[in-house]
Amino acid sequence: MTTFNFRRNTARELNELVRDAPVGVSLTDDHRRSLSARFRAVSSAGRRRLDAWSVEQAGQPSSGFHWTPATARRLLGNGAMRRMVRQSISPSEAVSDEIEDQLLRCASGYARAGSLAYWLASRSASEIALVSAEATNWAVQVHEIAQGLEREWRVAASDAFYDVASARTSLRARRDLEVPSVEGRVVLRVRSGSPGKSAGPGLRSDLTIDTLADPQGVAPRRFIGVWPEAGVMLSVDGTMDDLRAGARDLVRTAVVSERRRLQKAA
Amino acid sequence: MVYLGATLSVATNRETDRQHTKHDHGEDEEREDRDEHDATLGPVTRVRKSRRMPTCTDPSPRSVVEALRGDRGTRPRADLTSASGLRSILEDGIFALLHNVLPATPIVLRASSLRQLGPSTDISESAHARVRGILVNHVLRLLSVGAAITDPFEDALRAWRLEVESGELLDFVERLQADDLARLATDVTAHSVTLMRSLGPVNHYWLPRSAMRATQMLCGGSVILRDVIDLMVGTTVGEFASVALFDVTTSPLGEGAERALRYHALVQTLRSGVVPLRTSCFSTATGEMWSLDVDGELLTRSADEVLCALANITSHA
Repeated sequence: MTTFNFRRNTARELNELVRDAPVGVSLTDDHRRSLSARFRAVSSAGRRRLDAWSVEQAGQPSSGFHWTPATARRLLGNGAMRRMVRQSISPSEAVSDEIEDQLLRCASGYARAGSLAYWLASRSASEIALVSAEATNWAVQVHEIAQGLEREWRVAASDAFYDVASARTSLRARRDLEVPSVEGRVVLRVRSGSPGKSAGPGLRSDLTIDTLADPQGVAPRRFIGVWPEAGVMLSVDGTMDDLRAGARDLVRTAVVSERRRLQKAA
Repeated sequence: MVYLGATLSVATNRETDRQHTKHDHGEDEEREDRDEHDATLGPVTRVRKSRRMPTCTDPSPRSVVEALRGDRGTRPRADLTSASGLRSILEDGIFALLHNVLPATPIVLRASSLRQLGPSTDISESAHARVRGILVNHVLRLLSVGAAITDPFEDALRAWRLEVESGELLDFVERLQADDLARLATDVTAHSVTLMRSLGPVNHYWLPRSAMRATQMLCGGSVILRDVIDLMVGTTVGEFASVALFDVTTSPLGEGAERALRYHALVQTLRSGVVPLRTSCFSTATGEMWSLDVDGELLTRSADEVLCALANITSHA
């Protein structure tokens, strides 16, 4: 059975969640093989990509991705956060540097079509300023959360990716901040809006994917979802029950999306 | 409350002020009062015992941003305890209003619900006025990140199009005739110029963030408080209160704007758990700025206003 902790988003509550997190369990090769077999049992026309969002939307196909200020803000904002940790600069300056870096990447021919750098290069100055404003909002929000932490923290180097062996399935979990310690890590994911009814299963699948992506299969002690706009937090512990439930959610999402595809085809 | 007029810090010449002036000049007095002035005409202290001294008064803020930040030395300690009390007031009040009957769909309250209590026709709700408001807000967003604005209307419209892509109001702009579009452009430019002249430079280290959304669910999600703060500076992390909320409106300021100011402070307090330092509103129509220091009384008053607005909605439903 999964227990979700629902708290107000204050520094005191967050530190309590980090401090009282239980020790996370580890997944073995048998667990990975079992998950792989379950995914292989679900037929698929092409490559399948699953994440917390697809779990929350019950496998509904999302409309094609395109860059907007809202979709670009997390990438630029987290990049800016990494810069702020390295150098002592303000969030606005860090975002400007990040955007300049992206534009430079495009100008030097390293950006491919469809990438953020490519999209930014085709925008006017006022449009880039709006993207910068959105990314600054994100960076300041994440920075405020991080500053409230009593323990040492770091910005996640990248999202967690796990390719399920011979099942043509990629899993992706978003993560923004990590609080490492000797007992294990606590992972924070910052999200926009307010949590819906399916936010819990989404968070649980993030926990499972993050564990699978870990080379040793060690689960985070706790996975915390933070919704700064709503001022609330939701967390799930890295127990075996939660990991199993997260894996079940992912497999179920794959089944439902495949069923939808077949119905559409018929 | 700090007032910042278009002409910046021109004090009103009120009736009482004029009386004082007349009194000093002795114009408002009868002949028999002459003795009073005669008595004060001569030196009070001996020669060389007194000298002229400069008098120091609080200088008027030169820009909106300066007024927002205020004096760093006079900031109170961050209040981390009021939020839970306010939430209790609201929860209890809503419970009493709804009589334990949960609505089928959540009741959503916004700042606009408090600006205009009760059903009425407001010209500021027309499509033209709403588009103007949105575009001026986009100008503020661009200014908050230090963007150089050459054509406020074009720049804001481009930014808005990138953000929303499609929508009822964007369609309204697309369908405008050339002369109506020119009228809208002139209108937006005029309001933006007032904003740009008054705003002043926004320091990066004040952590400016624009169009900050906030949502608060009350009574198990039966009532939702939604809010968008046009510009926010300062941080919730720290020993002293430093968050200043700033709202821009293209309408003249009135009683409704004051209620909205308090509402912003209330929702921000509920969201972050930290009471903001001040909440301000600037009218690009008049160049006037109202600023209120946030305290417990202001927040309790806003909670009462929210309950009052809710009572209006439930009685009309």
